[in-house]
Amino acid sequence: MNLQTKNPLHLREAWVICFVLGLVMLNFPFLHIFNKDVQVFGIPLIILYLLIGWPLSIVVVALFSLLLGAKEEQDHDSAPPPPQDQA
Amino acid sequence: MIPFGIVASLSLLYFGMLFAVAYYADQRSQAGRSLIDNPNVYSFSLAVYCTSWTYYGSVGRAATSGIDFIAIYLGPTLMAFTWWFLLRRMVRVSKEQNIASIADLISSRYGKSAVLGAIVTLFAVLGILPYIALQLKAVSYTFNLLTIPSNELAHGARHYIPGLPATIDTALIVAVLLGLFGVLFGARHLDATERHEGLVAAVALESLLKVVAFLMVGIFITYGLFDGFTDIFSQFLARFPERHQLLMLNTEQIPYPEWFSLTFMAMMAVMFLPRQFHIMVVENCREEHIHKAMWRFPAYLFLINLFVIPIALGGIILNNGDTSGADFFVLQVPLDSGHPWLALVVFIGGFSASAGMVMVESVALSTMILNHLLMPIILKVYSGAGNLSGLLINLKRIAIFAVILLGYLYYRTLGESAALVNIGLISFLAATQFAPAIIGGLYWRRATRRGATVGLVLGFMVWFYTLLIPAFVESGWLGTSILDDGLFGLAILRPTALLGLVDFGLWSHALFWTLFVNVGSFLAISLLTTPVPAEEEQTEKFVDVFKDRAEAPQLRRISKAPTIIEFVELMAKFIGEKRAHQAISEYLGNREIDAKGSLSEQELPQLKRFTEQTLAGSVGTAPARIILENYLAARGSHMEDVFDVLGSVNISRTASREQLSVLYEAARAASSGASLQTVLDEILKIFTDQFRFDLCVIRILDPERQALTVRSQRGTSLTQAFDADRELTMDTFIGEAFLTNHMIVVNDCDTISKQKTAEITRLEGIVSFAHAPITVEGQPIGVISASSRTAKGIFTEEFVELFGSLAGQVGVAWRNAQQTERLIAAREQQRELEIAKTIQLGLLPLSVPEIPGIQLGGICVPAKDVGGDYYDFLLQSDGGIGLVIADVSGHNVGAALLMAETRTLIRARYGQFGTPRDTLAELNRFFYEDLNRAELFVTMFLLEFHPESGRAIYASAGHSPALLWRKNAGDYLRLDAEGLILGVRREFPYEQENVDLGPGDVLLLYTDGVIEAANSERELFGEERLADLLKDSHQLAPRELIDLILQQVRLFSGSHSFNDDISLVVMKIEEVKKSS
Repeated sequence: MNLQTKNPLHLREAWVICFVLGLVMLNFPFLHIFNKDVQVFGIPLIILYLLIGWPLSIVVVALFSLLLGAKEEQDHDSAPPPPQDQA
Repeated sequence: MIPFGIVASLSLLYFGMLFAVAYYADQRSQAGRSLIDNPNVYSFSLAVYCTSWTYYGSVGRAATSGIDFIAIYLGPTLMAFTWWFLLRRMVRVSKEQNIASIADLISSRYGKSAVLGAIVTLFAVLGILPYIALQLKAVSYTFNLLTIPSNELAHGARHYIPGLPATIDTALIVAVLLGLFGVLFGARHLDATERHEGLVAAVALESLLKVVAFLMVGIFITYGLFDGFTDIFSQFLARFPERHQLLMLNTEQIPYPEWFSLTFMAMMAVMFLPRQFHIMVVENCREEHIHKAMWRFPAYLFLINLFVIPIALGGIILNNGDTSGADFFVLQVPLDSGHPWLALVVFIGGFSASAGMVMVESVALSTMILNHLLMPIILKVYSGAGNLSGLLINLKRIAIFAVILLGYLYYRTLGESAALVNIGLISFLAATQFAPAIIGGLYWRRATRRGATVGLVLGFMVWFYTLLIPAFVESGWLGTSILDDGLFGLAILRPTALLGLVDFGLWSHALFWTLFVNVGSFLAISLLTTPVPAEEEQTEKFVDVFKDRAEAPQLRRISKAPTIIEFVELMAKFIGEKRAHQAISEYLGNREIDAKGSLSEQELPQLKRFTEQTLAGSVGTAPARIILENYLAARGSHMEDVFDVLGSVNISRTASREQLSVLYEAARAASSGASLQTVLDEILKIFTDQFRFDLCVIRILDPERQALTVRSQRGTSLTQAFDADRELTMDTFIGEAFLTNHMIVVNDCDTISKQKTAEITRLEGIVSFAHAPITVEGQPIGVISASSRTAKGIFTEEFVELFGSLAGQVGVAWRNAQQTERLIAAREQQRELEIAKTIQLGLLPLSVPEIPGIQLGGICVPAKDVGGDYYDFLLQSDGGIGLVIADVSGHNVGAALLMAETRTLIRARYGQFGTPRDTLAELNRFFYEDLNRAELFVTMFLLEFHPESGRAIYASAGHSPALLWRKNAGDYLRLDAEGLILGVRREFPYEQENVDLGPGDVLLLYTDGVIEAANSERELFGEERLADLLKDSHQLAPRELIDLILQQVRLFSGSHSFNDDISLVVMKIEEVKKSS
């Protein structure tokens, strides 16, 4: 977390990785793992997977968004460098 | 069923509320407190993505084909990951470029291409019109569903509004109201880039309503009619076990490729559907809203889909497996279960979904139609006349109505056909076709206009063939033969199995082929073609939008540029006077205006760009470019490449270094000490090597001819006219530059007024030139000229400065060379003078001979270092004495040598010649050749005196007469004899006179330096003054007399040194002391 907030490049890379991960996990063949005619807690597995996976991906985006907001605020705050007391 | 009146009044009430909210938002905006400048409003407005097709259609799809509808919403969720890069880039670029629509974005990226804009608009309209029809159908159908008993509805009866003609149905009324809304809140101003706050606020409110309504009905069905999710699933699977594939993927209807295709299409659609682009990009208030919307918008999508499956399954259960009305389960279930109020809420939600989409889409499309289809025509028809702003805004309003009414027409003619079923996805795939050109254009430098155009056209052709043709067949428009046998009976051309790609889902098939040809041709043609300069400029602005771009180097200028006022008038024509003045005052606020109230040549292209951008906001980027181009062309001015004289792309940053290097080299050449010619050639070489000029000339004034003569030249003149010498007149620019001592820059030879120069430049093919006066201590001594045959507008401010400095260096070089020359000349002269002086001094008698009875004296005072005078005393064997005084013209070694020769000859042969007359004649003969050749002449006075007889014989060769003081007479006598200057004629009979001298007589021989000595009033000393001196002071000894004369001459002329040599010879006859 700390690293990410400090280094925008890490944030950017992590972002791309999450995007690709999302693409993969919400597609064949990943979906095939859950595409079974079984119910878990009375809900078909694939639907349960999507009902959990989808909000999860939204949470990930939200986290990035929060980090981004925090970072921007940080940048904003630290924009004028504090005067260094040389005395 | 609910009474018609209630539904109708509720709908109208809802409409009223939308108008009120929109109006309120506009008011707030005008008050400076924007309602939509808020990430939540932005996120909600993005949900215009969810139309009635998703509102009602998702449930229908879930009930009939399965869970693939989720892909339509998962795609945007995944896409949201990219927003911080992709969407932010689109927003940034669009704000910077005043981009008003997706057609504008594409057209602008590829060099503001009007053709590309028109293509995108046509395809967008084609792809979206059915989608609008679908919305109108949904409103109309749900309205009927609520107000008509289900048994009547089943017969497909169209319900017409009571009391109105049959042609006016609910869909038409809704269409007109939506059109009205669009006109009021989407086309108040022409500036499409200005946010439509009212529209956005209304759309955001609608989005809020539709999600609330949908959640209400979802909760009602899931938890009211059933016992939660689990209950619905278990009941469904228990009652319809054969339909368990509805809850699975990889079924016959949803193979994995189809899932992937839908996800991908949704990802593209959420970015590139015209209405999405409009809301996301054009209506975006600030970039920070994007990163909040990145998760709020997907969360919205998740919420609105959360209950789709329970509602679908519940609907199936409640309808005993009948899915024929599945599209409207949302409405039908609450209605059937006796909750009409809930049905009304759902209806309003669905109505919102339709209305929002139609409003935004019609505004977005009307902007595109006006800017990219109508403007090019208008600009052709109305070239130059009148104020167009009123016409344009009305055309836009008409376009809004036209778009909605065309959608209505589509619905009325094809509304009941199956062609509407997949309209949403057909539109999605149409929007997907824009993706390569946009994404490629935003990130790939090599993307070119031709690549994008061909990619788009081919993509849309395949789109039409693989999706619309099957839809037409399904709706019965076309026979099934094309589907079964392919075009022209060729099986490989079957629209759903192109090139034999069989058993691939409809969407996957179409997506694959459209993208294959679109991306393929886009990439290939982009690589094969090179972008035109206009594209390159735009490429920079798109691809490097986040880079700190240096202020674009000023490489273009406007010839015959319009004034500021003219630019304002042009803008006023399209956007109205008030807004034009407002825009220009904002623009000029922080710019420098010169004394004449106009902008500098460097500022004008920027003003042109600003005008273009301002117009782009209202009429689109491509029309704005066309307007400006036409306008400039009409008044005979045009943009020209400014030659990149400084040899690098980024002038401003490296200019000083380049300048310094050239000036340094020139300065080094100037001070090298080489000859002036070498230095001038070297400076011109340095200059022309660095800057690619065709002809450079240095002319220096020739004071004698009063003409500027060519001293150095680089490059060849075609006509020999350009490198000729120039008279010092104001008729030529070179003469003017010299005479006015000012640099003259002509950036465009078409504009010059001087007839002579115009002719020369035309013959030489020169298009621009500059003349800088070469000055030494501020005074012009010549002119340096540079001219180009290829590029107008070379001479930028920076360059002119450099050119001036270079002229200064030439001046320094010239001055240095002059000084050197003078120094050498002085040194040579000095040496020569020394020699001459030595010679001359050696010639003059060292002492005065002592002869009884006479006193002698003589002096020679040279004017500067060396004189041309000579005097001598010649003693004769018979006791006589010869006095000679001569004046050789010139004061150099030659004169001195001549004098030496004279002296030698006279001394050696004096006496042999005979009388003075004979001596002069002999000398004349002897010197004739030498004197003639040397262009010298000699005057001489020769007198022989014999003390015994007291007789003096004399002759003169053009010399001043001698003066004789005669003591007895008490007066003086001029001793003159006719005689020509020596060396003029070979033979000349010299006269000889004689005079008897008595005791006390004083004879004075002199050279003309004495009598021609002048005072400050230019008055000459004269013979009279000399004679008077002699008269008054005859009693003095010769030496004293000479000193007195010199003193008096000095007093007279007021100067110690004389302008000419002065020589004096005095002979005094001693008074015989008779007594002794």
